[in-house]
Amino acid sequence: MTDTKPILKADDLSKRYEDGVLAVDHLNLNIYPGEVYCLLGANGAGKTTTINLFLNFIPPTTGTCFINGIDVTKDPLEAKKYIAFVSENVMLYGNFTARQNLDFFAKLGGKTDLAKNDYYQVMRRVSLQEKAFDQRVKNFSKGMRQKLGIAIAVIKDAPGILLDEPTSGLDPKAATEFLEIMAELKKEGKAILMSTHDIFRAKEIGDRVGIMREGRLVMERTREELQHEDLNKIYIDYMKSAEAPAA
Amino acid sequence: MTWTIVRKEILANLLSYKFYVVILLAAVLVATSFFIMTRDYKERLADYSLIRPKPGEPIAVNPPNPLSIFAKGLDEAMARSFEVGPTGISVRAGQKSGNTVFAFFPTPDFLYIVRVVLSLVALLFGFDQVSREKEAGTLRQMLANQTSRSTILIGKWAGNFLSLAVPFLLVTTLGIAVLGLDPDIRFSSDQVLRLGLILALTLVYIAFFLSLGILISTLTRRASSSIVILLFIWALLVFILPNLGTLVARQVVDVPSVRALSEKREQVWTREILLRIKGQGDMPSHIRSISAENDALEADYRVKFDRLVNLSKNINRISPVASFVYAVTEIAGTGIGEEGAFKGEVVRYKNAVLGKRLASPDLKSSEYPAFLYRYRPLGRVLVRGALFDTAWLAAFGILFFALSYLAFVRYDVR
Repeated sequence: MTDTKPILKADDLSKRYEDGVLAVDHLNLNIYPGEVYCLLGANGAGKTTTINLFLNFIPPTTGTCFINGIDVTKDPLEAKKYIAFVSENVMLYGNFTARQNLDFFAKLGGKTDLAKNDYYQVMRRVSLQEKAFDQRVKNFSKGMRQKLGIAIAVIKDAPGILLDEPTSGLDPKAATEFLEIMAELKKEGKAILMSTHDIFRAKEIGDRVGIMREGRLVMERTREELQHEDLNKIYIDYMKSAEAPAA
Repeated sequence: MTWTIVRKEILANLLSYKFYVVILLAAVLVATSFFIMTRDYKERLADYSLIRPKPGEPIAVNPPNPLSIFAKGLDEAMARSFEVGPTGISVRAGQKSGNTVFAFFPTPDFLYIVRVVLSLVALLFGFDQVSREKEAGTLRQMLANQTSRSTILIGKWAGNFLSLAVPFLLVTTLGIAVLGLDPDIRFSSDQVLRLGLILALTLVYIAFFLSLGILISTLTRRASSSIVILLFIWALLVFILPNLGTLVARQVVDVPSVRALSEKREQVWTREILLRIKGQGDMPSHIRSISAENDALEADYRVKFDRLVNLSKNINRISPVASFVYAVTEIAGTGIGEEGAFKGEVVRYKNAVLGKRLASPDLKSSEYPAFLYRYRPLGRVLVRGALFDTAWLAAFGILFFALSYLAFVRYDVR
């Protein structure tokens, strides 16, 4: 794995907000092609801030984010060519149909020569019902919107994918379907960084799982290591130790 | 990439009920305005055909300007009847609007519709451009791609500008075409050109308010805050600031009242009559004296009045809306500058009539020259202020767009 170049790399990354809160504290992360990295942590642990830093929505206080070797701060537009993003609540244009949304975001992602069928193929691939293809998105359930969000990421065909709590609020069937698509993308060689609260699915899909607490990456385990350990227990122990008063 | 966003904005507008409500409103208002103002113009035209002087009568009357349908401005004042008497000019009512409701409400000409309604419509198109997308989360989705913030902003601006300008131009052009079918309304080629410039200026005006709307949208996090702030600014720009200049200028420049001026004229007239009764001087010299003194009084009044008007205009220009009104009325030939030029022409006509009358006392009333006012050439109108006002309006639009770019670059999209 380490012979190849990481698609997503955080190098000594820190972010302190104007109010003094240290959201990310010297984070080092390398995510390689064909790897799913699950970032666990309580609310406010720094997971979403990490994703925002990769997307250059906020500047880092120190350190650097690299996407496909490109410094995100120095050349954000070039770096974003190699990344796709699915947020917790995929919010699209409600008055547009699924295909119109897909068409718009595909074009923003640089895919300007796609035909109607290409869109339909991608939507079939993410298991969106056929009848929904030309329906307005404002009537979609959360699960359908998430699928469309993944379709946007899939159609961009970027080597890196950032997922911000993508299974949050999904019913078990939709979450399972989601994980199946992630497994396919992983097989295609995508480097995936997924922030989540879902320990069960993190263990199921993650090649590596990291736990963040107060901005720091306090634990990291590989899939192999987790076969002999109880991730649920590890996670709860870390959370409890955070709540315990300092000695 | 910019075109992708432009198309998205147009599509989003086409799919939104807000767009249809707004366009329908604009269409109804433009059609109503054209209907009312055409009736008004025709009534004044009918009045003109009744009061127009017979050949050789020493009366100066200007026919109503067909462009007053779009911007009435001072056309009613310019269309009064100026009768040259033995000692000066008597102003008569001339062609007056038959619609008494105009006395209670502003004249609903095209300029009014654009100034008040279209500005609000442009703000409605711009007020939530950034804040709504931030609230909806779509801004994050867009910026997660290789799309720069400047591309998004330009695309949004252009898409909304086209969404508003194209239907508005279509509705207005259709209305003008219908007007063109009316045999009573004749536009010269110069007036058609002027009309084209007024429409172009309207687009600059829309662009200004759209930029303002987008600017406030980039400075607020919620669309609801944005609309409240914009309504306040809109009222300030459209109603308050353009009237402020007149109030302030009146405190600074002392202009005698029309009544005082008329009393002074009467004093001159009485003095000369008394001198004549006493047997001092002949009648022509008294008439010359009355005319010269009246002209001097008028010139002095005009200098002070012009100073007041110029100061008011300059203060009013704090609001680019005032610049828009000045530019449109001047181009239409119903503005302050045109009215000044017209009055100068009436005074010249009076002097010509009096000169002729004094040179040949036996002249028949039907032998006086006819009054014909030629509107200032368009080039002169533009150089004398309309171009400056247009540039001023455009500069504000560009400034607001530049500021919205600066704000959007720093905008927290999370």
